Amino acid sequence: MVNDGAPADVDVVALVLGGDGEAFGILIRRYEPGLLRFATRMLGNPDAAADAVAESLVRAYRHLAQCRDPGRLRSWLYRITGNRCRSHLARRHTNDISLSDVPAPALADSSDTWAVLERGEQVALVERALAALPAEKREAFVLKHVEGMSYEEMATVTGARIPTLKMRVHRAREALLAALEEVVR
Amino acid sequence: MSPIDPRLQEALDGERDPGDLPVDLREAYVRLNAATQILKATPPVSVATRVMAEIRQNPATVQSEGPARRLIQWLGRPRAVTVRLRPVWTLALAAGLAAVLVLQWPNGGPTPGVAQGIANFVGQFPGARSVEVVGSFNDWSRGTLHLNDDDGDGIWHAKAVLPAGQHEYMFVVDGERWVPDPLAGRYVDDGFGAGQQNSLLIVRPVSAQP
Repeated sequence: MVNDGAPADVDVVALVLGGDGEAFGILIRRYEPGLLRFATRMLGNPDAAADAVAESLVRAYRHLAQCRDPGRLRSWLYRITGNRCRSHLARRHTNDISLSDVPAPALADSSDTWAVLERGEQVALVERALAALPAEKREAFVLKHVEGMSYEEMATVTGARIPTLKMRVHRAREALLAALEEVVR
Repeated sequence: MSPIDPRLQEALDGERDPGDLPVDLREAYVRLNAATQILKATPPVSVATRVMAEIRQNPATVQSEGPARRLIQWLGRPRAVTVRLRPVWTLALAAGLAAVLVLQWPNGGPTPGVAQGIANFVGQFPGARSVEVVGSFNDWSRGTLHLNDDDGDGIWHAKAVLPAGQHEYMFVVDGERWVPDPLAGRYVDDGFGAGQQNSLLIVRPVSAQP
């Protein structure tokens, strides 16, 4: 990814590998928001997500020389973070987020109490519907619709085949839509 | 949960103009998009300070590793030999491999730590362009442990020093196909919800080997 006026990933990676460790901060600032969002949606717990992302970024730094294609650094970072989330879920001996892990929604607008309640209910509903999905479908949906990845990039991140990923996304949509419509009825 | 209309899936995949959807499908499209917008909220936290502090504490570990450096590291890494049992068709391979190992580590060679052992990974993947191992020992990260098939016979192998104990792993073939080791003998659910299994490897410490 290249931001306006900002150095490309390949250039930053070259700086870091050349000994400028501080340059890694550029990559953190660039990808941290998405990685935190991804991990939070995968783990359903902001603290666990922050730990997973921090560990992943440190690991990425330590193994930066093994990133074979710095032009696709984003995929590499998501893969490491996804692996870390996977390990975290495995340690909990369950695939799914405990619904008790899904935090109370952060309400954005407090100017109108009723609107706030509605928004809060929406957030809680969506987060719980996502948390109820099996991890692999949750991951596919989040990468596709929240992180905006192509199926090709998702395949790089997850190691799964594209038809498999499409199927997971489709099933996730069905489950989410069913959960949303149940409330609307 | 029932399957949703393929036209809605196509619209969500960007393959169809959502404006062309019937009203009920368009409502579903809007609802799912609204849900997605909620999920796009970025958590108001940062780990940047924490990560940079850890990096500054130990800044010297990142470095570019060329093939020569990796070879030197590989040659200097302590290792012992644990040959895993294989079916009959691999006996000849095992004999050949044993000969190679003897040549590589004369006089017993360097040994791993007390609580470490050597794992031998062997798989038959004719026509594969690359094979690597990911597992609990490398945080399921690709790019750290590659198998080789130097003679092009479709049998790929690699060795690694691992902590003694139980490890889950899978082969990644051609960078995209994750497959369990058909010869592992032991498997556990991969915990990822699709009913797939990871291969299970038990590494014995060198000190426990005869």
